[in-house]
Amino acid sequence: MIELNDVTKIYDGQTVPAVESLDLKINEGETCVFVGPSGCGKSTILRMINRMIEQTSGTITINGEEVRGTDPDHLRMNIGYVIQQIGLLPHRTVAENVAIVPRLHGWDKDKICKRVDELLELMGLIPEETRDKYPAQLSGGQMQRVGVARAMAVDPPVMLMDEPFGAVDPIVRSHLQDEFLRLQTEMRKTICFVTHDINEAIKMGDTIAIFTKGHLVQHGTPQEILSKPKNEFVRDFIGQDRVVKMLTLFQVRSIAKANPCTIHEDELPNIRQKMKEQQARGCFLVDQSEAPCGLIIAEDLERESDASQERLKELAFSRRGAFIDQHLLLSDALSYMLEWDTDYLGVMNGQDLSGVVSMADIRECASRKEGD
Amino acid sequence: MNWPRMLDALSRIPHDLSIHILMVVIALAISIAISIPVGVLLTRPRYKKWGIVVMNILNVCQSFPGMAIIALAMPILGLGLKPAITALIIQALLPIARNTIAGLNGVDPGIKEAAKGMGMTPKRVLTEVEVPLAMPVILAGIRTSAVLVVSMGTLAAYIGGGGLGDLIIAGLNMLWVEFLLVGAGFGALLAIAFDRGLRYVEDRLTPPGFSSI
Repeated sequence: MIELNDVTKIYDGQTVPAVESLDLKINEGETCVFVGPSGCGKSTILRMINRMIEQTSGTITINGEEVRGTDPDHLRMNIGYVIQQIGLLPHRTVAENVAIVPRLHGWDKDKICKRVDELLELMGLIPEETRDKYPAQLSGGQMQRVGVARAMAVDPPVMLMDEPFGAVDPIVRSHLQDEFLRLQTEMRKTICFVTHDINEAIKMGDTIAIFTKGHLVQHGTPQEILSKPKNEFVRDFIGQDRVVKMLTLFQVRSIAKANPCTIHEDELPNIRQKMKEQQARGCFLVDQSEAPCGLIIAEDLERESDASQERLKELAFSRRGAFIDQHLLLSDALSYMLEWDTDYLGVMNGQDLSGVVSMADIRECASRKEGD
Repeated sequence: MNWPRMLDALSRIPHDLSIHILMVVIALAISIAISIPVGVLLTRPRYKKWGIVVMNILNVCQSFPGMAIIALAMPILGLGLKPAITALIIQALLPIARNTIAGLNGVDPGIKEAAKGMGMTPKRVLTEVEVPLAMPVILAGIRTSAVLVVSMGTLAAYIGGGGLGDLIIAGLNMLWVEFLLVGAGFGALLAIAFDRGLRYVEDRLTPPGFSSI
């Protein structure tokens, strides 16, 4: 647990504090994302935790121990630290880079070797291929991975990450974020994570702390921040698409309804009756092997009341993409609905159609969460 | 061309050249031993403010003509090899100190930050990160100084320091072209040899996976 009490930092030669009387508590095993515009003091706070910067006043404790009472080098050896510039030593191989902190801890060679391979594998790198390379021979994404592996080398309980995925392109960043989230669910480390990207904050954070001009504006779970922005600044910072962003917090399966209405091709003439019986507004066409291949919605049937079997099939096939994996997010579902011009989507569990999600469900979910 | 005189000049080469090399090596070794620690100190936060003062003093030393330093060394230190070496040291200090400072300041701050943030002590950051990464620039400074000292060493003969300067001064006084050719020629060859040799060391010491300058 990291606790900051009434922490203030005024840089030499400046009168305006970079951080002013900050109180913040980060629980054990929690990822707290510091977010805010440039110069809001978020990096300063992070760097005060491992004493790269000394606070002007106030106390910072890690698990009850005040950081100012410990030897700074010893303190830092036990805190994982990842920075945007990554800072791999260019004259050392990947393995030597990862081994830096274990070496400072005085581990023996065999233990270090084993740990290095383990970490590279954990970060999705092939040890045999990367171990002996120099940083200059790696891609941006690989360097970031090595940077994170290096910070985790001695399995520190606390990690400080200053825009750790800032230097890679959006696709690689998204990959790295997903992988790190997966790791974090197992590791449950206490993490302080700095970013200026609200979307990254929503994705990575158990809690989000929003800063401006050295002050903490709001600290809460992503859902709290998105549903109840404290003031105009937070509202602006989140952006106009606040509610759509909130939809990114939920997976489709959390609101999907089971037992979707399905129909085989030869039953198409009876589709109206079937949908009426099941009170469904959308009906999925499935083939002999029960694999979904299309969707007919009630509006189609109302518009073309005398449509032939062939025409119905044609309409169904025109929405052959209206299916979505159950792990995708509600915001993705919304996008699919707009793309395929439908209020209904089939929810897939692997290859099987397991449920249905509708626009009404999404609206209900959004308004319910707004009201929480 | 007077062949007997040429042979006479060449027969003096082993003696003069070895004194010249000795002079250069000692002067270079001492100036490295002074300049690098000074350069390191002047890039530490505590002593940074002295940087401009020290660099200005070294700049002044550098701007004295070589001949003037040799001449000044004589009334203070007398004649012989020792004052000659002292004069050479004064000239060799600046390029090494300057490059040490430039090299250390040129190390990517992100790398230093990461090293410190991992818990390396300032001493470890210096020896394991900063110095290895600044090494190519420091060695380039040593190379500059080496060539400078080899050429200035020929002036040492004026205050009895010996070396290849003996041949050149004799040649000038007697108007013996052969002595001039041999003395100046070997001086030039020696400068090239030092430059090449140090460049080789530089290549060997440049960290792998690191682009040389």
